[in-house]
Amino acid sequence: MSLAVDPKKVDRFMSLARRMGVEATVLGKFTNSGKFHVRYGSKTVAYLDMDFLHDGVPQMKLSAKWKAPKHPEPAFAEPADLGKALTRMLARLNICSKESVVRQYDHEVQGGSVVKPMVGVQNDGPSDAGIVRPLLDSMEGVVVAHGICPRYSDIDAYHMTACAIDEAVRNAVAVGADLDHLAGLDNFCWCDPVKSAKTPDGEFKLAQLVRANMAIYDYTTAYGVPCISGKDSMKNDYSIGLTKISVPPTLLYSVIGKIRDVRKAVTMDAKRPQDLVYILGETRDELGGSEWFAQNGSVGSKVPQVNAKKAMKLYRALHKAIKAGLVASCHDCSDGGMGVALAETAFAGGLGIHIDLKDVPYRGKKRNDYILFSETASRFVVTIHPGNQRRFQKVMTGNVFSEIGFVSADGWFEVTGINGRLEVKEKINRLKEAWQKPLNF
Amino acid sequence: MPRKVKAIVLTGNGTNCEMEMAHACKLAGADMVDIVHISELLFGEKKLSGYHFLNLPGGFLDGDDLGSAKAGANRFLHAPISGADEMLIEELLKFINAGGLILGVCNGFQLMVKLGLLPALDNNFTKQSTTLTFNDSGRFEDRWVYLKANAKSPCVFTGDIDLVYYPVRHGEGKFVVKSASVLEKIEKKNLVVFQYCNAEGAITTDYPDNPNGSTHAIAGICNDTGRLFGLMPHPEAFLHRTNHPRWTREVLPEEGQGLAIFGNAVRFIRSKDF
Repeated sequence: MSLAVDPKKVDRFMSLARRMGVEATVLGKFTNSGKFHVRYGSKTVAYLDMDFLHDGVPQMKLSAKWKAPKHPEPAFAEPADLGKALTRMLARLNICSKESVVRQYDHEVQGGSVVKPMVGVQNDGPSDAGIVRPLLDSMEGVVVAHGICPRYSDIDAYHMTACAIDEAVRNAVAVGADLDHLAGLDNFCWCDPVKSAKTPDGEFKLAQLVRANMAIYDYTTAYGVPCISGKDSMKNDYSIGLTKISVPPTLLYSVIGKIRDVRKAVTMDAKRPQDLVYILGETRDELGGSEWFAQNGSVGSKVPQVNAKKAMKLYRALHKAIKAGLVASCHDCSDGGMGVALAETAFAGGLGIHIDLKDVPYRGKKRNDYILFSETASRFVVTIHPGNQRRFQKVMTGNVFSEIGFVSADGWFEVTGINGRLEVKEKINRLKEAWQKPLNF
Repeated sequence: MPRKVKAIVLTGNGTNCEMEMAHACKLAGADMVDIVHISELLFGEKKLSGYHFLNLPGGFLDGDDLGSAKAGANRFLHAPISGADEMLIEELLKFINAGGLILGVCNGFQLMVKLGLLPALDNNFTKQSTTLTFNDSGRFEDRWVYLKANAKSPCVFTGDIDLVYYPVRHGEGKFVVKSASVLEKIEKKNLVVFQYCNAEGAITTDYPDNPNGSTHAIAGICNDTGRLFGLMPHPEAFLHRTNHPRWTREVLPEEGQGLAIFGNAVRFIRSKDF
């Protein structure tokens, strides 16, 4: 750590450092010479113009060329056993429980923990965001949430970025964050984007980086979420023999927000039998880069695209509903779409959920698996007490939303398909087991 | 005229739970609560004799470099107080002999057992006879646990507490004794205060209800006066219902179950028995 200390106070500072057992050394002083002058004893070992030091690095002149990758649309049939498919989806590494990792870190230090990473009847459901109270004599809270979806970069890093930002914002909204008070962090984990002998596809990789930054501009301004910090890690490539492996362009977008009263916070676990299940936001057959397509060996091309205007309108309505205490549980749809989100909501609450896909507002190819696993952005599954239904529907008016089912005490997760047939009937305990098994060390 | 309760919460060199521990003392009604850096004690700027209730909070003293709280214990045993003709350990023993209360949570409990403040069989406060070592799981554990109180212990912090639910957050929480006779003495004198149990109160050695594999599921102990108490779980982290992991689905009292530990301490200090 380096500090600037007024020479009139340096003796007191050094005495304080000594008292507190901290090694402190005076290295030099600020001058107005305009030079960075380093000596070893009386010998000068560095003498540089400050202008050169700060502004002298030669700027690279690079060219970026965007050419949209073309992946064929997959040709696999809707599975005969959709319940089995859902169980396999829950066990995918990007979806399965991370509890064994989460519990190795102290997420409650300083006494202000409100929404923990694991919630629900057995403290093992996946929270969308964290909430802490930094001041113990206040009910104001800080919300922290993230968004990450590198698979979408196989298609377009612009939409990957838009979705990561949307995911972070909607995760914060899901627990009760105030939309007018959000700030973001952009963390790049990228492959080398500079064309060279080692990186012959540099122009394409640079175009991906440029598109990602265009999306950051478009969506942070649309959502009013300034980037207050960030990080870039730009050379994540590995060569083994003649094979070069580059990470997919990845943006981790993190959001910090406020909740005025933490007692209004909402968690994702279903709360009571007979509560009604709603889907908020329209679903489209946007499975390009999805976990479901990956499960079936495909990338596809219809990557989810974020409509910021519609999303913001929906988020404001949801926030209003949460503040009014109308929402029993709220969970965002991300990897694995609504199918995974609903299963998690159910088993986190130790309760069954029964839904009917024909009630889901949907545009696209009429397939049950597409509706269930599409990763269209800006959506939530919400449960509400029947007594709050009228008020909830009033608050949500003007947005796409629909009642799709109910919470049950019977412990079954059931999905009726668009043709009226029961397509999924699984015990929530079995779904949870499959979800917890992969990383259960 | 009721006594004014003065609490000191020690910090420095890696402690990180001092804020919430001080807040607990304040909520419990202590009249004065000071967060004091250990350097203030080592330079005689603050004295333990000015307080009734010493709090040793959770954290990672000296980065757990020699084992949790080991360096901290050595510091207490061997550091002189600068400018005075006294060792820090002498000031601490004076505090104990004057009847002061000491509460050690997590890293604070580790400090107390490695110093020898607990269980202090034979009233020797600088002889270590037990330790807190690595969890059986080999990992740091952040999870909530049920604790069954021993109604027969002399502990002044537990009052009529029977079954409580607190978080544990530690990598070295497994209570281990030097010999079978040490364990026998501890149990005979009822120095066991809390044991890990299941939701129904049945004491258990099964993971994860018992998060670390502690001998006889021991989560906290006291000395024979009951005024020195240490435990691995964090009562100061459950002061409000929103701390509870399931508060959004259960109807809970406003006050967290952790506050009672501090409330009992403050009440005891105000009482004639102090």
